[in-house]
Amino acid sequence: MGFSDTVTRQLGGETLTLCYQCGTCASSCPVAKITPRFNPREVIKLSLLGAQDEILSGDAIWLCCSCYNCQERCPQKVEIADVIYALRNMAFEKGDFPNIYSEFMSALMNDGRIVNISQFVQNKREGLGLPHLQPAGVEGLRKILSATKFNKLQKQEKSQ
Amino acid sequence: MKMDQPKVGVFLSDGGNEVSRILDFDTLTSYVKDVSDVTFVAKGTKFWEGNGLQTIANAIKEKKINRVVVAETLPKLSEVKIAQAVENAGLNPYLMEFLDLKDHCAWPHQDTPTEATEKAKAMLRGAIERAKLLEPLEKLEFSTLKSVLIIGGGLAGMQAALNLADMGIEAHLVEKEPFLGGLAARAGRFFPTDDCAICIQAPASDVKTITHTSRKCVYRSGFSEIPNLNILNNSKVISVEGEPGNYKVTVEKKPRYVNDRKCTGCDQCTTICPVEVPDDYQAKLQTRKAIYMNTPSVHPPIYAIDDSVCKFYDCKKCVEICPTNAIELDQKPEQITLNVGGIVVATGFQELDPSIIKEYHYNDYPDVLTNLELARMIDGFGPTGGVIIRPSNGNPAKKIVFIQCVGSRDRRYKPYCSSICCMVSLKHATAIKTAYPDADISICYIDIRTTGREHEYYYEKAREMGIKFVKGRPTEISRNPETGKLVVDVEDALLSRFLELDADLVVLAPAMVPAEGTQELSELLGLELEKDGFFKEYNAKLRPTETKLKGIYIAGGATFPKDAPTTSLHSHSASLKAAKYLNAGKIIKDQRTAVIDEDYCGDCEFCPVTCPYGAINLLPTTEDHVVARISELQCEGCGVCVGTCPLNAIELRHSRPNQMSAQMKGLLSVNGSSKPLVLAICCAECGHTAVDSSGMARMKYPANVRIMKVPCTGILQVHQLLEAFKAGAQGLMVVGCKSDGCHYEVGSQITAKKVELARTLLKEYGIAPDRLEMHNMVYIEGDKFAEAAQMMTKKMEKLGPLELKGGS
Repeated sequence: MGFSDTVTRQLGGETLTLCYQCGTCASSCPVAKITPRFNPREVIKLSLLGAQDEILSGDAIWLCCSCYNCQERCPQKVEIADVIYALRNMAFEKGDFPNIYSEFMSALMNDGRIVNISQFVQNKREGLGLPHLQPAGVEGLRKILSATKFNKLQKQEKSQ
Repeated sequence: MKMDQPKVGVFLSDGGNEVSRILDFDTLTSYVKDVSDVTFVAKGTKFWEGNGLQTIANAIKEKKINRVVVAETLPKLSEVKIAQAVENAGLNPYLMEFLDLKDHCAWPHQDTPTEATEKAKAMLRGAIERAKLLEPLEKLEFSTLKSVLIIGGGLAGMQAALNLADMGIEAHLVEKEPFLGGLAARAGRFFPTDDCAICIQAPASDVKTITHTSRKCVYRSGFSEIPNLNILNNSKVISVEGEPGNYKVTVEKKPRYVNDRKCTGCDQCTTICPVEVPDDYQAKLQTRKAIYMNTPSVHPPIYAIDDSVCKFYDCKKCVEICPTNAIELDQKPEQITLNVGGIVVATGFQELDPSIIKEYHYNDYPDVLTNLELARMIDGFGPTGGVIIRPSNGNPAKKIVFIQCVGSRDRRYKPYCSSICCMVSLKHATAIKTAYPDADISICYIDIRTTGREHEYYYEKAREMGIKFVKGRPTEISRNPETGKLVVDVEDALLSRFLELDADLVVLAPAMVPAEGTQELSELLGLELEKDGFFKEYNAKLRPTETKLKGIYIAGGATFPKDAPTTSLHSHSASLKAAKYLNAGKIIKDQRTAVIDEDYCGDCEFCPVTCPYGAINLLPTTEDHVVARISELQCEGCGVCVGTCPLNAIELRHSRPNQMSAQMKGLLSVNGSSKPLVLAICCAECGHTAVDSSGMARMKYPANVRIMKVPCTGILQVHQLLEAFKAGAQGLMVVGCKSDGCHYEVGSQITAKKVELARTLLKEYGIAPDRLEMHNMVYIEGDKFAEAAQMMTKKMEKLGPLELKGGS
């Protein structure tokens, strides 16, 4: 099975082949306007051409800011942002993803939070008359995360 | 009906030894002789010429046979000739049954001659049994009026009206606007000839219009003086009754308030008229008066009053100034009745209102126009006299950006390609560039489609002239609030570079959509629309410009957006079809039609809904219930109604259930092979011819596969499918046309559903549903048939013999 067939079988990837490269997505994209590293039209084209390694190992798919402008304006109803999510999921399965995601995951598993409770935040809350943040119920969260196979991320992080 | 005692004559052709080489003709002859009611058997080589035809004629005249069964080769040549000979010999030609022992038996089974001979027996038996039950059919004659209503006075309608009038058929051209010309007249010039929009072929040889003072130019010719042509402007069709060939049409004609016999077109009325409104015809780039003419070039060149804005007797300045007393403010709407034989629908198409695409800000920004509005600006008769301006401030537009596919090829709006917009934009861009060489013109496109003759030269010329092409569909048009300048935000996909194109004027190429009122008219006429909302043409290749209703045709852009040459061509086709239908003043067709048994029929609506030809109406009877009535004129004899009727109240005269059943039993009466009997019920169109073509190509499949022909698979009822198993079939194939290429439009689609239902029932009865299969194939797919027949046989062998439980 070709790469584009694989993508269309993913949740979110179904509409990939409708693309006719008009570029409405690219000119709608706030990220593409500021960096040549991401162009949604090119991501779609490369996926259609089967450039699996370039897409899944490259950083382009991780630069989408999920504003959905492209999806809103695409005349062929390609669900571009969702296709990119599908590609991210495929990259993730391969273990190709930015470290920041592992860091988020570890933080969640360890502390139940992505952002640590910093003294800065605590001081700020005090000033606003809000109670201090308390550590979250990590045990319950871990259960949920494991049940949803979130911990898979951890294993792959270790193997990296 | 009471039948004569049948006396069947059987004529066996050896096909020039090609059939008898494989099949044992002595065995066949003696078999046939023993079949009851067969009173005459002849062998020969060629029954469709000379002595062969004479043999058949003699048998009818001298041996008094009253049913003819012919086994011949080359059916496309032989069948018609033999039928004619049968008729000439004094026997009704519908009392004949034809079979092809070569392509359906000898050749595909040449490796197993003994089995093939046994199959031939079964084929002959089926044909004889069916022939015995055939009944004579008559030829029917219907009178028709030599007159046509044409709805829509644009390019297509004008061309059709002119053609028909020219052929001596009375043509009534109905146009809803006060002036003819439609979209074409607004478009100005046309590609690929750059000539005037509505210029069409003038009448060929009429002495009244072609005189030394008249011209071929349609704008200057006496279009309204063409004999047989009745132009009804400002008019609308409000009802249509009757049958093909004899319609009664009611037209409502709105008052023009100007007497066309008195008006001289002097223009004093528009000078004095105090009412000024935006001129829609001129893209609202100018105003017009309540009394107006679109442009001086329109037809008729007579003023009209817009009654939605005129102050009538509160003002009547025009009445006072008119030097010929042409203005008649008390004119009333009138209803006109027309008796016509046919109708040509030529209602065309229009631009999609692009304001629904918010990011392009059409309507918000005055300098965003459509191609049609730009066409008015380019036209010398237009609001700017041919000057390209920015509507926001009236200054010349120097930088112009075109945006293609605005709403076309867009699954949010219109998924289809509107087919003409690339050329329209190229035409406009080159026209502007020719007049203003310093104009800076860009065209933003997804794909440039220049498929017609000479169209690519336009693209080439545009590039030569320095028009810029940006491959990309802009995401948005924005406007600088201070300068009022437009900016088009687009990615050039070839460069992967983002461009912000400054523009004085942005021209949108909107999708082309069905003309306003299309839905309403379709309901009035009983015509179907395509999913895109255009009128449904019966079949673009098989029956272009026809509709499912005989006598009603479609010309031009009403079926899909078209350029001028294609519209003209399409219109010629529609006029030819209408003329062909009506020219003889009568329609002769045979009686291979459906008949209703009114004792059984009642109160359901299945058949009128499923009939592909609108041939069935429900009529109330005296006892407070309705029965179906079939128009023999409109019925095409497919049998889709038969297969749909839940009460078995409809039969086809030439395929009655007892005829089909007798044939089926005959075909399954002899096996002669160790393989399970498979019956293939084929439609007479693609299905049966696919079997022909597999035989012609000598493709092989086993002789246990038996072929039965029906007019359309749509005739089959679920219980008939089940009866095939009772009659001895181990497997059943139903072979029809492709589902979207059925010669009776819906037959094979409906049958596919019935086959699914029958499979479910088989399962209920404990029979493997795989014993029943639906196949769709066309003539050239003989290989597909041979393969399917082999597969079916193998499958049935694997399933083992079918055992039917319970009684019969």
